[in-house]
Amino acid sequence: MKCEWTKENVVLYMYDELPDDARFEFMHHIQHCEDCKRELEAAQGFKQDMSAMPAPEVAPNFLASNRMQLQEALEHAQQNRSFWGMFIFDFAAWMQQIKLAPALTAVLLIVGFAGGSLTTWRLAQGTESPVAVNTGTIGTPQDYNIAAINSIATDPDSNHVTIKYDTLRPQTAEGSATDPRIQELLLLAARNNRNSDVRLDSIDLLKGKAQDNEVRDALISALRYDRNPGVRLKALDGLKSYVKNDVHVRDAVLEALLHDTNPGVRSEAISLLDPVKADSSVREALEVLAQHDSNEYIKAQSQKYLASTAHLD
Amino acid sequence: MPAETAVFQATVGASGNKRYSQSSGAMVSQALSRVNDSELIRAAQRGDRAAFESLVRQYDQAVLRLALHLTGSEPDARDVYQEAFLKAYRHIGNFRFECSFYTWIYRIVTNLCLDHLRKRQTRKEDSGTVIDSSGQEVDLLDRVSDDRAGANPERDLMRRELGDKIAAALTRLTPRERMVFELKHYQGLRLRTIGEMLNTTEETAKNTLFRATQKLRSALAPMR
Repeated sequence: MKCEWTKENVVLYMYDELPDDARFEFMHHIQHCEDCKRELEAAQGFKQDMSAMPAPEVAPNFLASNRMQLQEALEHAQQNRSFWGMFIFDFAAWMQQIKLAPALTAVLLIVGFAGGSLTTWRLAQGTESPVAVNTGTIGTPQDYNIAAINSIATDPDSNHVTIKYDTLRPQTAEGSATDPRIQELLLLAARNNRNSDVRLDSIDLLKGKAQDNEVRDALISALRYDRNPGVRLKALDGLKSYVKNDVHVRDAVLEALLHDTNPGVRSEAISLLDPVKADSSVREALEVLAQHDSNEYIKAQSQKYLASTAHLD
Repeated sequence: MPAETAVFQATVGASGNKRYSQSSGAMVSQALSRVNDSELIRAAQRGDRAAFESLVRQYDQAVLRLALHLTGSEPDARDVYQEAFLKAYRHIGNFRFECSFYTWIYRIVTNLCLDHLRKRQTRKEDSGTVIDSSGQEVDLLDRVSDDRAGANPERDLMRRELGDKIAAALTRLTPRERMVFELKHYQGLRLRTIGEMLNTTEETAKNTLFRATQKLRSALAPMR
């Protein structure tokens, strides 16, 4: 029994993984058992043999070139922010900023106080007449959609007021779907439009051009952040051919599977992960889903994928 | 615009390997380096790229060494390196300080290396050589300098044969066995840490190491 235990733990002893009391027992037994002593010598011989193939050291040039390449890649990389991360206030980070920028804080307070005091003083003077605005030149809303007021300036010696503002002028663009100008507008519509029908139409047109990196990024963004599940499904449809080869697409689809609130989107996402079910990050997610997911279809599909790749462990 | 943040110089060694020492000096040093890492991580989470690059510098040599030994190819090791750190940069916002950054980054790297090993499982594996970036095959043993005066050619030949046998024996391990053996034997990590990195228990890592060494010893036994 003691010999059996000793032989089972010879590897742990060799790699210095035995707890102190077990190590004492092991060494004590080795001193009195020739058989186990031979076993230990054989194991130590094995460890010595393994040193015949050491891990190669990294050449300094190779390391330097990798660092440079990473630096360039980081310039274009974006950090992921979770949906809740956009709303959760990081108090610790805020405190850190305040701690390290007291001067800026003080300046902001002084400027705010001074500005407020000055405004109050000028109003209290009561000598300035209300600013008169010549309304005669403002047209009807249909002709003159005002986007923003940029500045208001008053002449202290007169009632003259100058207001600078931007206007919106409705326009129409027509052209082929491959026209770069049209594509640019479609990308804008996919991201910024309040009307979900407009976003849906733009994603529908863009999904056929996912070979373009900018379009693919827009589809990924729609999958991650669009409020409308129809838009997210459309985006998934456009990304399906890139799950295997583009790791950003794979990550986005995985996130949709794990976090999307719509069961249809999740079902579609899991079906797209079939070609990459052997990937370790996918398998990790599938293991969690197979045990805990409340959606029976997702749970069953995860178990099916894991079963078909069990030989990889 | 994020406020200016001070970037602290970390005191972790170049290999990134952290062995827990009993001496109080080493413990204080580790605690300090963890504090320094925390500052860098928080800065990186706020989008400070310089802070992230400082973090990378602490661990990237060890990461590249691991990737190179596992993949046997400089281009593949480069891919693992780039993908690992880009992934870390994209997801650093999810790091919650529940483990060390070292464990977290190695978790990413080991997953990528496991993917690589699984993809290669059906292909012919290492022959004890490494493919460098120009596509040339370089014998691993050439990188080990033999400083002894009057080095024995016969012994060198035996060493090369043993190296080939070892390379062949390593290919017969499953990806997980190979990974555990690599992290224990070549990288010198504790089994508990290996378990954390591979998202499993220390006990499972122990059993995997045991299986891996048994297989390797059987394969190398005829050489002794």
